[in-house]
Amino acid sequence: MKQALVDDTEDVSLDFGNEEELAFRKAKIRHPLATFFHLFFRVSAIVTYVGCDWFSRSFVGCFVTVLLLLSFDFWSVKNVTGRLMVGLRWWNQVDEDGKSHWIFEARKVSPNSIAATEAEARIFWLGLIICPIIWIVFFFSTLFSLKLKWLALVIAGISLQAANLYGYILCKMGGESDISKAAASFLSQTVFQTVSD
Amino acid sequence: MLQRGSADSENDGGPQFAEVFVIIWFGAVTITLNSKLLGGNISFFQSLCVLGYCILPLTVALLVCRLVLLAKPGPINFIVRLFVVIMMFAWSIVASTAFLADSQPPNRKALAVYPVFLFYFVISWMILTFTP
Repeated sequence: MKQALVDDTEDVSLDFGNEEELAFRKAKIRHPLATFFHLFFRVSAIVTYVGCDWFSRSFVGCFVTVLLLLSFDFWSVKNVTGRLMVGLRWWNQVDEDGKSHWIFEARKVSPNSIAATEAEARIFWLGLIICPIIWIVFFFSTLFSLKLKWLALVIAGISLQAANLYGYILCKMGGESDISKAAASFLSQTVFQTVSD
Repeated sequence: MLQRGSADSENDGGPQFAEVFVIIWFGAVTITLNSKLLGGNISFFQSLCVLGYCILPLTVALLVCRLVLLAKPGPINFIVRLFVVIMMFAWSIVASTAFLADSQPPNRKALAVYPVFLFYFVISWMILTFTP
């Protein structure tokens, strides 16, 4: 009897202060600013490159603007949006003997921590994959139309965006060091999802 | 219409920009590769970063020279510019050597430093001989 009484008067935690957290969990896009900037710099770099004839007649101005936008995009995707949107990060560490190590990490999903939402993950990966493909198309169009002075810019664009893509793919694969196995499992997952929809 | 052109117009400083851009990038990459091939203990991107930061004094020299060129042309003008460029060049060399030479074994320091000297010398030359 006494035990039951003690149990009744024990502290029960009431979830009054957690409305913000509940709203956060239910939102489809939890980091709207990060999502916006993830796409903004990439898309404006592409738009500026394509529309440079209409914006200004200066080659140098267009070159510098696109390069700056690509650099901003590289920094923000690598340091901010990957971490916030899908919980992945990668960096380089130089230890005391001067040897450099590349470290790729993925956030472990546990019941306490919050997993990435599907909308954010989809936006993240689509943005990450489509833009390098567009720059590769620009590479071939520049090469074949012989406007070779833009080639340096296109190559810089491809390397910056492909670097981010490669880093995040390595993070996503985590322990798997075999790319073909990871690709096969990813494809089977997608096929299964399409069939079951 | 054909002569007015577009972003491909002829007199917007495109070739000069490309020249500076290519010299700096290929120069930095070459110095880094040279340093690594000599057995230096430094990572590729670290070396590129250091060389980039150490261009800052020469950038200041460029700004000062551009301002000095607004004044009356003459030998004094040239001597002032020469002095400023030499000072900044020496500063760049000292700053980058302090980092890059340490990553080499002692008998190879001069071999690693010489391309850096050449790189900054070419940039200083371009700054000194610039006329608007």
